[in-house]
Amino acid sequence: MRVELNDLTKRWGNVTGADNISLDIQSGEFVAFLGPSGCGKTTTLLMVAGIYKPTAGEIRFDDRVVNQVPPKDRNIGMVFQSYALYPHMSVRQNIGYPLKLKKSPAAEMEQRVQRVADMMGIGHLLDRRPAQLSGGQQQRVALGRALVKEPSLLLFDEPLSNLDARLRLTMRSEIKRLQLDLGITSIYVTHDQVEAMTMADRIAVMQEGKLQAYAPPNELYERPRTTFIAGFVGNPPMNLFDVQLMREGDRYLAKRQGLEFELPPERGSRAAAKAEVTVGIRPEDITLLPDAAGSNEGSQGEVFVVEPLGRDNLVDVRFDDLHLFVLADPRQTLKIGDPVRLQFDGDKVQLFDPETEYSLLWT
Amino acid sequence: MVTNQTETAIQVPRAGRGRWLLLAAGLLLLGCIVLPWLRFVIIADQRVALSLTGQQAATIGAIETTDGGLLYRSSFWLFFAPLAGAVGLALGAINLLPGRSAPWHGLFAVLISVTASVAVWGAFAASQEIAQKQKVAVEAQLGLSVAFMALLLLLVGGLILLREASGQKPAFRAALDALNFMAPGSLLVIVFFFLPAIILFILSLTDLSSANFSEPWTYVGFDNYKRMFSDRFFPKILRNTFQYVILTLLFFNVGLALLLALLTAHVSRRVGFFFRLLWLLPRITPSVVYIVMWQRIAQQPPYGILNQILGLFGVENQPYWIPESPWVFVVLVNGFVGASFGMIIFTSAIEAIPADLIIAAKVDGAGNLALIRDITLPLLRWPLLFVVTYQTLSLLVSFEYILLLTNGGPGLFTTEVWALTAYKRALQTYFGSNQWAYGAAWGFVLVLIGAILSVTYLRVFRFNDLVQEPKIDVL
Ligand SMILES: Nc1ncnc2c1ncn2[C@@H]1O[C@H](COP(=O)(O)OP(=O)(O)OP(=O)(O)O)[C@@H](O)[C@H]1O
Ligand SMILES: [Mg+2]
Repeated sequence: MRVELNDLTKRWGNVTGADNISLDIQSGEFVAFLGPSGCGKTTTLLMVAGIYKPTAGEIRFDDRVVNQVPPKDRNIGMVFQSYALYPHMSVRQNIGYPLKLKKSPAAEMEQRVQRVADMMGIGHLLDRRPAQLSGGQQQRVALGRALVKEPSLLLFDEPLSNLDARLRLTMRSEIKRLQLDLGITSIYVTHDQVEAMTMADRIAVMQEGKLQAYAPPNELYERPRTTFIAGFVGNPPMNLFDVQLMREGDRYLAKRQGLEFELPPERGSRAAAKAEVTVGIRPEDITLLPDAAGSNEGSQGEVFVVEPLGRDNLVDVRFDDLHLFVLADPRQTLKIGDPVRLQFDGDKVQLFDPETEYSLLWT
Repeated sequence: MVTNQTETAIQVPRAGRGRWLLLAAGLLLLGCIVLPWLRFVIIADQRVALSLTGQQAATIGAIETTDGGLLYRSSFWLFFAPLAGAVGLALGAINLLPGRSAPWHGLFAVLISVTASVAVWGAFAASQEIAQKQKVAVEAQLGLSVAFMALLLLLVGGLILLREASGQKPAFRAALDALNFMAPGSLLVIVFFFLPAIILFILSLTDLSSANFSEPWTYVGFDNYKRMFSDRFFPKILRNTFQYVILTLLFFNVGLALLLALLTAHVSRRVGFFFRLLWLLPRITPSVVYIVMWQRIAQQPPYGILNQILGLFGVENQPYWIPESPWVFVVLVNGFVGASFGMIIFTSAIEAIPADLIIAAKVDGAGNLALIRDITLPLLRWPLLFVVTYQTLSLLVSFEYILLLTNGGPGLFTTEVWALTAYKRALQTYFGSNQWAYGAAWGFVLVLIGAILSVTYLRVFRFNDLVQEPKIDVL
């Protein structure tokens, strides 16, 4: 089923939950709503579910406007962070509840509940109460309940946030695999950008109720259109700082107290009109070189903090009042206070207009 | 090794000294409540006694009044004091057996029994003297207070002794832990429910009444009960009581309460709050005023509001409605007051249901009715059980609105319920002859009915199923 949101807005008095959201979701697509807490992800999701009535705008399912359709007639499955299992019902009754409401025949119901439960690997738990299950098992039940009526749209509201890191990883791939197998259009709300990046076909980044970007993960990652997206997508986050832009012949130099580097001409020329730009560069696109005295290529700073992450070290390098994060090889021995030089991968440098915060490279 | 460490780490420390603190707190609390109460029991004068309700009168049945003087019949307390002494001695004896004793256990028990004996003696001597001179109420008070304290000490000491003696049997020890834990609460229940009930029972076996209260009362066995059950109006009163309780409970205290809660929970917060406040008005109106209002509503024309409204529709010459259909009014009057309790409990229970559950049910395909039937009501099971049980019991023993509205009439026993009968027999008869003992018999049977009903409710509602398995095990 295709889903289309047109200028969807939700307000309570002067509080705005969602502000003019417009996006379309292709049939079978997996879309993630990503954004910091309070940015309106749940609000938008609940409007799609029919729980909140939009203040303005429309929601279309396959071209049919569903604004006035009550949730029970939208054929939606939903999974919550809190699992929201009915505590007074057994697992069997929980999963079977949507079918019971559809008045499915008992035999068919039994069979479908069993099939879904087996698919979720909880076939042996059918007679337990939710309180007698672990968090992971509860989430499987919730997923089973959402799937059992074969919905045309699946909504997830941070379903994995209450699980421990390892279980989150397993469930993540399970949900993704299920969604691919069943081909059900899905909206997945999360504030965890790794989840969004790994699972979604497209990511809708939201901030303060507004849709900031709607694009496939790698595009968001490689071509952030605003400083917000640049800073929010990617972990560890992109370094963002302001520089003076100088032009010397056809060379473009970015300068800042204690820091100087060259921009590749095809990027630098896009910013030629500006004297000051915001530079964005990811920690993995910076190379850390031990300071060889006398070399004036690259820039000089000192090691402020080293955080070992296992595969890499996250190094905080200080240039006066500016701190830059760099991913470095752990074999490279670094001590706090060591002078270092940084080399930027110019082809990965992002440039933003400091006033509008829009990218100078991508529109 | 690793397992061992984990176990040690999560082991909850044993009760230890905390137990003493708990018990001391319980004792202090009790002392604060019991002592003033004792004082009240002892110095209550006749007028106080006469303005009391049946159950209270039964509780202080031990008071006897002669020409304005204060007398206390210590016999009831004496009934407990020897018991205390006996148990104390027995405990002491057990602890003197080889292999069972830490010396101080025995010491403790002996102390208890000594204190108890002193108390017996003090109370007894006081009562003897009271019989002759009327001035020694103070000594009586002292002796009896000590007796009471002794009883409490005995209870505490006994618990500790039992606990120490049962070190090897975990199940038994767990049961005792539970007892320890509930000690303050249980003591309150014992002092304010069991003891009054026992005293009520003892009183009902006597012939105490205002006709003979200056003489020593005599024990008459179950005469009062025989008289009660053979009363010509007994079946009528029984039927009335059930009719009153069931109708009011069903339609108002639970039915209307639930309806109001569901309705006010589904409108906007402010409107809901306003309506709930409105329904609380009858509860906070003084009962006499409240009844006068109902009488104003039901008066014959041209005064009655109901009849004025009927008059607008051309229905003339209507009667004073209360004697006309007394039961309708008995149920309405009580129901309007009673609905607010359940309404508040149900409302807070409904508001405590997580929003996610409601959203999940809606998305799963539930309409409003299915939502109430499958989610709200099942989750209200515990408050429902509570309200039904609590309200049955309070309706059973309530009579003030009926007393004010119809006084059991019109005619003979038309709307007279059990509690009203008990009250009238004990404290409100024509000619001022209060049959305290006979009223106590009515009261005691009511207590029994209440107790049986509570147990039945707990069974029927399968209370144990509602209580979830503890997530924290007792170690
Ligand atoms: N019922 C409501 N009444 C008034 N304001 C609300 C209501 N629900 C949400 N809001 C506001 O709307 C904004 C968006 O809330 P929403 O729940 O959609 O955030 P979210 O993106 O889901 O955040 P989180 O990641 O913390 O769940 C917040 O500022 C919130 O305070
Ligand atoms: Mg949310």
